[in-house]
Amino acid sequence: MVRVKVKIIDTDQEWLVEVENGARIRDVLEKLDLNPEEYIVSRNGEVVAEDEEVGEDDLIILYPVVSGG
Amino acid sequence: MVNCSFCGRKAVYVSKALGRAYCKKHFLEYFDKKVRRTIRKYKMFSEKETIIVAVSGGKDSLALLHYLVKLSKRVPGWTIKALLVDEGIKGYRETTIKDFLRVAEELSVEYRIVRFRDELGYSLDEIIEIGRRKKLPYHPCSYCGVFRRYLLNKAAREMGGTVIATAHNLDDVIQTYLMNIVKNSWEKIVRLGPVSGTAGHPRFIRKVKPFYEILEKESALYAVLNNLYPRFVECPYAQQSIRWHLRKYINKLEEMYPGTKYSMLRSLLRIIQLLEDKTNKIIEGEIRSCHICGEPASHDLCRACTYRLELEIMDENGNIIKNMDTGALGNQLSI
Ligand SMILES: [Zn+2]
Ligand SMILES: [Zn+2]
Repeated sequence: MVRVKVKIIDTDQEWLVEVENGARIRDVLEKLDLNPEEYIVSRNGEVVAEDEEVGEDDLIILYPVVSGG
Repeated sequence: MVNCSFCGRKAVYVSKALGRAYCKKHFLEYFDKKVRRTIRKYKMFSEKETIIVAVSGGKDSLALLHYLVKLSKRVPGWTIKALLVDEGIKGYRETTIKDFLRVAEELSVEYRIVRFRDELGYSLDEIIEIGRRKKLPYHPCSYCGVFRRYLLNKAAREMGGTVIATAHNLDDVIQTYLMNIVKNSWEKIVRLGPVSGTAGHPRFIRKVKPFYEILEKESALYAVLNNLYPRFVECPYAQQSIRWHLRKYINKLEEMYPGTKYSMLRSLLRIIQLLEDKTNKIIEGEIRSCHICGEPASHDLCRACTYRLELEIMDENGNIIKNMDTGALGNQLSI
C-alpha cells in the first residue's frame, strides 16, 4: 500500500489516502469522489498529468478548475 | 511516467479526447495555436483595435488578459486595456480584485474598475436583498448578468474600446447552451457564437470570446503554469444555480466519454448555423435605444433599466433612488 496526502489549495480540505501500489493520481481522486476533470494536479510541487503513478508520502495539491470567470 | 506525445518529456496534461499528452512547453504551444486559430477563424480582431479585456480576477480572465497582452506584442496596432466590474459581493470580490491588481501590475496594463455601487447606487448583495423583499422572481445570477453586461458595454465604450474580449471558455458556452435548451430559449442560443452580432447600434461594442474552443481545464492549467492562478474563492451565489449542477454532470460525462464537450460545441455551432437565416434578421431588426438611458435595447427599455424600475432603485428619468431598505445589509453598512 502507498500513503499520500491530498490537499485542495486555499481551503482546509485535506486527506490522507491509502491506495494500492502502482495506483495513479486518478485512482486517489476517485477514492475521494473527486473528478479529475475538475482539478489541476501538482505532485510534490510539480504539475503532473492525473495518469501519473503515486509514490509513498507524495503531497498532492489540487487546483480547482471550476472557479468562475 | 506519462510522456509528452511530441518530445517524450514528462506530461503536464493529457487530452483523452485528442489522444495526446503534452509537456509544459508543448501544452503552451498547443494552447497558443488553438487560441490563435479561433481568433483567425472567427475574424475576432482586425489589425487596429483597442481591445477591452473583461476581467473578474478569476483564473480564466487573468489567463485571457495575460495571453492577449503577450499576443499584442506581435501586433503593433493593438492596445489592450482591462476592465473589471465590481458587483460588490462580500467576501468574494475583494479577494479577486487583489489578484487582478497583482497581474495587471505585472503586465503593466491600463485598467479601470467600475462598481455597481457607484453606477447603480447599490451593490449586488443589496440588490439581491431588495429583490427578495419585493418578491421579484429573479435569480441572483440574473441581476448580476444583466447589470454586468450593461456596465461592461458602457465602460468599454468610455475607455475607447473597439471590441470587448471576454474569457468565456468552451465549458461556459456549452453549459449556457444546455441551460437554454431546457428553457426553450433559442434566441439566446443563436447569440452563443464566438462573436456577438454587429448589431448596428452606435453604442454597442462588439464582443468576442477568444477562449471559445479552450476547455476550462486548459485555461486553468495555463493560469497555473504562468503563476496567474488566483486564491481559490467561489462566488457565494454560484452553488444555487442550475449551471453549477450542469457543470458537474457534463464533467462526469466527459470523464466517462472523452470528447463529449467538443461534440456539444459542434452541436451548438451547427444549430446556430441552421437557425442563422431565420433569426439574424429578427434580432438585428429589434435593436433599439432604451428610452431612459439610451443604451442598446431589444424593447423600449433595456433590461438593466427594467430591473432598476422593478427594484425601485431608479426613477423613470434615470435618477438613482437612494435609501432603499436593504435590511440587515443596510445596518451593517451604516455601522
Ligand atoms: Zn513536449
Ligand atoms: Zn436603459
